[in-house]
Amino acid sequence: MAEWNAYYHNEDEEEEQEEGEQSGGDYKVTGRDSLVFLVDASKEMFIKGEDGQPSNFDMTMEVVRSVYTSKIISSHRDLVALVFYGTEQSKNPRNSFKHVYVYHDLDEPGAKRVRDVDGLQGDKGAQLAADTMGSGETSLGDALWCCANLYSDIKLRLSHKRLMIFTCRDDPHGDDSTKDRQARTKASDLKETGVVIDLMHMMKPGGFDVSLFFCDIVSPPEDESELGLQLEPCDKLDDLKKRVRAKEQKKRTMSRLNLCLGKGINVAVGMYATAVMTRKPSAIRLYRETNEPVRSKTRTFHTQTGSLLLPSEIKKAQVYGKKQIVMERDEVDTIKRFDDPGLLLMGFKPMEKLKLHHHIRPAVFLYPEEDEVKGSTCLFSALLMKCREKNVFALCRCISRRNYPPRFVALVPQKEEVDHGKVQITPPGFNAIFLPYADDIRTVDAPQCPVASQMQVNKMKEIVSKLRFKYRSDAFENPVVQQHYRNLEALALDMMAPEDTEDLIMPKVEQIDQRLGPLVQEFKDLVYPNGYNPESKPAAKRKTADTGGGAEKKPKMEVSEDELKAHMQNGTLGKLTVPILKEACKQFGIRTTGTKKQELLDALTARLGS
Amino acid sequence: AQCQQYLTVSALVLCMDVGFSMSNSAPGEEPPFELAKKVIQKFVQRQVFAETKDELALVLFGTDSTKNPLDQDGQYQNITIHRHLMMPDFELLEEIQNQIHPESQQADWLDALVVCMDLLQRETKGKKYDRLNIVLLTDLNTGASADHLDVIIENLKKDGITLQFFLPFPVEEDEEGGGDADRRGPSHPGMGKGLSREQKNSMDMMKHIMLSLDEEDGLDQIYTFTNAIEQLCMFKRIERRPMSWPCQLTIGSSLSIRIVGYKAVTEEKLKKLWISVDAQTNKREDLKRETVYCLDDDNETEVQKDDTIQGFRYGSDIVPFSKVDQEQMKYTHDGKCFAVLGFTKQSLVHRHQFIGNQVIKIFAPKDDEEWPCRPSSGRWHELKMVAIVRYAYDRRSNPQVGAAFPCIKQDYECLLYVQLPFTEDLRQFTFPSLENNKKFTPSDTQLSAVDSLIDSMMLVEENENGEQVDMFKVHQLPNPAFQRHFQCLHHRAVSPGTPLPPMEPWLKAALERPEVISERCQAPLEEMRKTFPLTEVEKKKKVKTSAQLFGKDSEEPDAKKAKGDEEEEEYNLADIAEGSVTSQLTHRIEQLLSNKNTQYYMKSITCIQAFREQSIEVKKKKNTLTIFHLRKYIMIGLEVFWDLLVQGTISLFTWDCRISLKSFLP
Repeated sequence: MAEWNAYYHNEDEEEEQEEGEQSGGDYKVTGRDSLVFLVDASKEMFIKGEDGQPSNFDMTMEVVRSVYTSKIISSHRDLVALVFYGTEQSKNPRNSFKHVYVYHDLDEPGAKRVRDVDGLQGDKGAQLAADTMGSGETSLGDALWCCANLYSDIKLRLSHKRLMIFTCRDDPHGDDSTKDRQARTKASDLKETGVVIDLMHMMKPGGFDVSLFFCDIVSPPEDESELGLQLEPCDKLDDLKKRVRAKEQKKRTMSRLNLCLGKGINVAVGMYATAVMTRKPSAIRLYRETNEPVRSKTRTFHTQTGSLLLPSEIKKAQVYGKKQIVMERDEVDTIKRFDDPGLLLMGFKPMEKLKLHHHIRPAVFLYPEEDEVKGSTCLFSALLMKCREKNVFALCRCISRRNYPPRFVALVPQKEEVDHGKVQITPPGFNAIFLPYADDIRTVDAPQCPVASQMQVNKMKEIVSKLRFKYRSDAFENPVVQQHYRNLEALALDMMAPEDTEDLIMPKVEQIDQRLGPLVQEFKDLVYPNGYNPESKPAAKRKTADTGGGAEKKPKMEVSEDELKAHMQNGTLGKLTVPILKEACKQFGIRTTGTKKQELLDALTARLGS
Repeated sequence: AQCQQYLTVSALVLCMDVGFSMSNSAPGEEPPFELAKKVIQKFVQRQVFAETKDELALVLFGTDSTKNPLDQDGQYQNITIHRHLMMPDFELLEEIQNQIHPESQQADWLDALVVCMDLLQRETKGKKYDRLNIVLLTDLNTGASADHLDVIIENLKKDGITLQFFLPFPVEEDEEGGGDADRRGPSHPGMGKGLSREQKNSMDMMKHIMLSLDEEDGLDQIYTFTNAIEQLCMFKRIERRPMSWPCQLTIGSSLSIRIVGYKAVTEEKLKKLWISVDAQTNKREDLKRETVYCLDDDNETEVQKDDTIQGFRYGSDIVPFSKVDQEQMKYTHDGKCFAVLGFTKQSLVHRHQFIGNQVIKIFAPKDDEEWPCRPSSGRWHELKMVAIVRYAYDRRSNPQVGAAFPCIKQDYECLLYVQLPFTEDLRQFTFPSLENNKKFTPSDTQLSAVDSLIDSMMLVEENENGEQVDMFKVHQLPNPAFQRHFQCLHHRAVSPGTPLPPMEPWLKAALERPEVISERCQAPLEEMRKTFPLTEVEKKKKVKTSAQLFGKDSEEPDAKKAKGDEEEEEYNLADIAEGSVTSQLTHRIEQLLSNKNTQYYMKSITCIQAFREQSIEVKKKKNTLTIFHLRKYIMIGLEVFWDLLVQGTISLFTWDCRISLKSFLP
């Protein structure tokens, strides 16, 4: 058992290699990401939808909250701001803008901000918004200007600046063309400083006409093909969330590599981690007296002299038996070095050669880097098309970093997919699936068991179809991580108790039972011997069988020929226990060499069937 | 039973011919002696690194001297027991490397075999071994007397000793006295001159022994040297015994099926880690590593570990959260579990979304005769459905969500369990479309170039018999990192003080394109080169990182750098104000603040004001850095002081600065 435990319990101490390979972010070249929510606070936003649908404002707040909480968990160092426009009251740095209300300045999101946004939801939230901000005149130009100031006041390096406008008014200034013009100017100023402006437009009666005004405000699409503008307004919370998330998540390469097809044919690709196990973050040490974080310093010194040792004064060693083998530190690195980082194409294989169970770590995603090698995108695209067409994957040797030993990956082509709202749900590119070496595959002896009869299988099929559902990879939250953050939230906000987390990966037993109804019993009748209890320990069961005593048991063991034939016809012969089967064999004078159930079954079937 | 099996060891005698004929070889060929030595080296290496408990003895024959217990009356001459039965170690490897040389005598290989049998009998007495084996490496070039052949065979059988022969040349079952050796002779080393009469004679005896021991497969245990080297070069795979994980598969509240799980695929790591030793003495004890904790102040005041508590980050807040509280409030569950949440179409579970680093095979329990059949495991595969399950290894481990795929094989059925991601794990990136972009759309010529490249580089082909042949099976390749690791360790162990050896040629070749492929793809590659212009973009000056800006060592590993970022922001107070005035001021401010009294607060604010002016003067870096430094005072519980700062009763900070201060308040 030891090794299972070793795997599961080391979760707090992440392995060095994994950390390096899967941290999934190249922070070196990037600074922090920033995101400003610029939300329309006009009366129209607060109108509830039909049938008690949430108002556009409610939906927006829900989205803002989910971005806040996901940032806290996944990238707490990003900066986020929440700004309202079209308010009655004003609140902004220097208070130079009327009708602009900076609710949250550009900063890391924390517990208090999440609460603030919670406070703005629902009827109470609408009331609070009306009390503190109110709805008033609109000047998008002022609002954008104010946001520009938020950015310029930040002294940190920002890698990615994004501004999302949430509104349901396609013509915010009515006939005031001066304000329109001012807004356009300010928008282009912002865009010039590298801010990407997105429009998250929501449903309004009569439809949202982007061309009236907003087409001049938002940033042009990243490339000519991309639909920069979602032409359809959002009327569902999920859609809005998806749109925001699609835009909000930054793409960070784990590494940029060359995919080498042959001498001199190098395609630059970026590697992205699209699924990374989120773990509970590691603890930070605080000084007991002041609760301030302390730093840890690890140093190595000489036991005798007590002097600190330089890296050059340390060597590395391994012990085998009594022998200690010593190497220089750089030798330890060179042992791991096989070649320069990169992907080397070995060849192609048909897709069916990729085995489902050849899985050793999460896949990574590859997309061309035109900025590194010009022409990469075209070749990559051609390779992608042809691999899909021929239904093959590319086998590559992958050295992901300097001094990393090679692994082999299967590059599986992936076609771009968009949903009904034209939001990309799967990007075009290759998924690199890591393949196991011989060492990674363990020999597991498969136990021999009898084959199920068609009737039993059919029963199981019925059960399976009763319990069908549509799996979505984003449907399950990690209860462990969620609970951890709820706890922190409660402590940070002095709440009495943490909010309840729903354990989404708990089977909904009642529903399942209800859906299955009598099927369970029918299945059991078909499959299990009478009185069989799968939950009891096999050893214990044998004991009770033994204590029964031979004399008493014997009569029970006998099964008439008719019964046996009936069992055989129904395919339920396997339900009988081994002793009964043995007895039956004896009865018919069948000599069986084996004692395995299947052998007994085979022998009986052969005899009775003839 | 598994435990028992684990403890049993086998005993093995390597019996090598070092006699003079072993040094004979055709020009350009390695003499049999060298080949045999390599086989032994590789074999012992494998045993040493695998750290098995198996015991090993080494007997040499054809030696100039004689050293064995049967040495009497001129019998059993020129046979030396070099090492008695014990666990192999590096000493043995060194001895093989340095002490075993070709010698000038010849000895009867049957005599040597008897010495080995005698050794096994004496030295295994009273202990339990699950296997006794003798490996003979010889060219069979000595006249052996067949006198006691039957007695020898009888004794081998009685003691349950198995035999293996390693020869310089191959043996064929139908071969009559090596009559057709000439046909294949020249191609095989050691066969240059055909077989001598002694060899033919010995060969017959050897065959007789092997077939007497095992009628059917006896001859399978006769190998050639070169063969053996190739097969042994792959260091013993890191072998782990699969552990069983018994559990119940549950569907709803009343249907449960007994199952047992085994880890089937997982990324194996090297068992041993490097330890640090002193460079001078090579001793581990001479080094001591110590971790100290220090405050975030200019003096880096050290604090005891006992005076620290743990906290966690919640966005911008750091929340103190003791281990006890954490334990009490953490997520708990009922433990071991394999519960079906539902079934879904297999196509909805994407291969590239598999997470975790293992695959578990789920079977029906082996020992459960009553388990009537396995309808749960698969069989519904015809529906192309998979089960989505909640999986928990035990009470202490975190539960997962995963998929159980039915897997139907010729001789067994099982479920394959793979972990699937949680919402938090997914990064939904969007990338520009490739298809609708005219700029990057490949032309027909380009597409056909790729087409022919793929055709020329197919690794799976049909052979004449219509069978599919895969010429590059990754899952049959040993992990090259392990191979290289052991090669270097071995080298350093037996030849200390010399540089590490180059990678072994077979390993290097195994990591390259198969030769057939690289030849075949030459022309299509040339075509690719022509049709796809690729130009490396001149690297723009790399944007300076904050770390570089602040003059930190840029050679630091990336991971550290990411961490470092934050430190920079908070600690650079000292940097911006290099003048000693500021550091004194900082110290003073903290002193004043520690009194927690409004009067002192006002004084501190005066200091801060001075400080700020100084900072601006020194580096023109404005409020942010100062603010970040001040932030920690929130934690100290100096709310009053903080309020004074934020409310702006003192014209110290500008408006925008005050706002940002405010947002720091918890």
